Amino acid sequence: MTSELLNTVDLDDELQKASPQKVIEFALNEFDNIVVSFSGAEDVVLVHMAHQIRPDIKVFVLDTGRLHAETYRFIERVREHYGVDIDVLSPDPEALRDMVRKKGLFSFYQDGHQECCGIRKIGPLRKKLQEVDAWITGQRKDQSPGTRMGIPVIQDDKLFARPDGRLVKFNPLANWSSQEVWDYIRAMEIPYNELHDRGFVSIGCEPCTRPIGPGQHEREGRWWWEEATKKECGLHGDNVK
Amino acid sequence: MTITLVKKILQDGSPCAKCADVLEKLEQSGHMDRIDEILIADERDPDSPGLQLAREHQVNRAPFFVVEREGQAPEIYTVYLKFVREVLEQETSESDELKEIMKDNPDLDFL
Repeated sequence: MTSELLNTVDLDDELQKASPQKVIEFALNEFDNIVVSFSGAEDVVLVHMAHQIRPDIKVFVLDTGRLHAETYRFIERVREHYGVDIDVLSPDPEALRDMVRKKGLFSFYQDGHQECCGIRKIGPLRKKLQEVDAWITGQRKDQSPGTRMGIPVIQDDKLFARPDGRLVKFNPLANWSSQEVWDYIRAMEIPYNELHDRGFVSIGCEPCTRPIGPGQHEREGRWWWEEATKKECGLHGDNVK
Repeated sequence: MTITLVKKILQDGSPCAKCADVLEKLEQSGHMDRIDEILIADERDPDSPGLQLAREHQVNRAPFFVVEREGQAPEIYTVYLKFVREVLEQETSESDELKEIMKDNPDLDFL
């Protein structure tokens, strides 16, 4: 494992042109202690691709406690289909209890989803990522135009790295469109979440996800009551590279 | 220990709102004197000191802090409340920190 020597900026230039399968192959060759993030939606392609290379690939799911029953069933189906170890992560019970006691079960409709997602997803995610050297996500540039155009295929994850260590994040699907993901799912006959057949494109928690109609962007199926805000904290990629 | 804060100027010349917020919080909490240097990452100037430092440490967002301790590798903080907790050794709420992470990283929405 040569991860300490990786220059992720130079590598990203190279891997931007590589297929998702090649990116995953590179990631798995480079790291033993690596995990796939699976949301219970179309990012199942990552599990499929990684499983083909490393049958005992480790997978985790952020179980917010608010997922659709269909999503829970799908997670189990994936576990059985691939025979992989899926670590289902739950929120910190005290933090969750405190938030719900103070603000109720639907506070995100009033003051935004960040606090709830922070406790239900980011807390468990941060804890999980302390255990690994690298992780693989299904993030794509086309999921939210305007905020995701700069998604690299490989990056140094300074946000979740251990204080004394390094964490590398791979986004193998960064350059695939939703259509390409679905073409692959159909071609390889990969199991998928039944909610997709009912108009759900992006799938998250039940109260924050809705089906969308033809021509709507998938972002419109998530947190639709919030005004889309412009991300301004990123440093322009061309300047940073 | 040396602490450098990098704040950003946007393409249109306006200051980054999050940077202004962080500076205000540092002032209000009396921690501004702990910051040794403030560098500007000017999106209109790739050679601005803040952007050079961002390139050096492969940081793609601002504001951020670089903490240098003698004989140790520099540490980078992109989450203000984590910096407050770990470097300034002030108590912070974990839920506030997680909320800050979500607000600043919309790419995490789809996990």
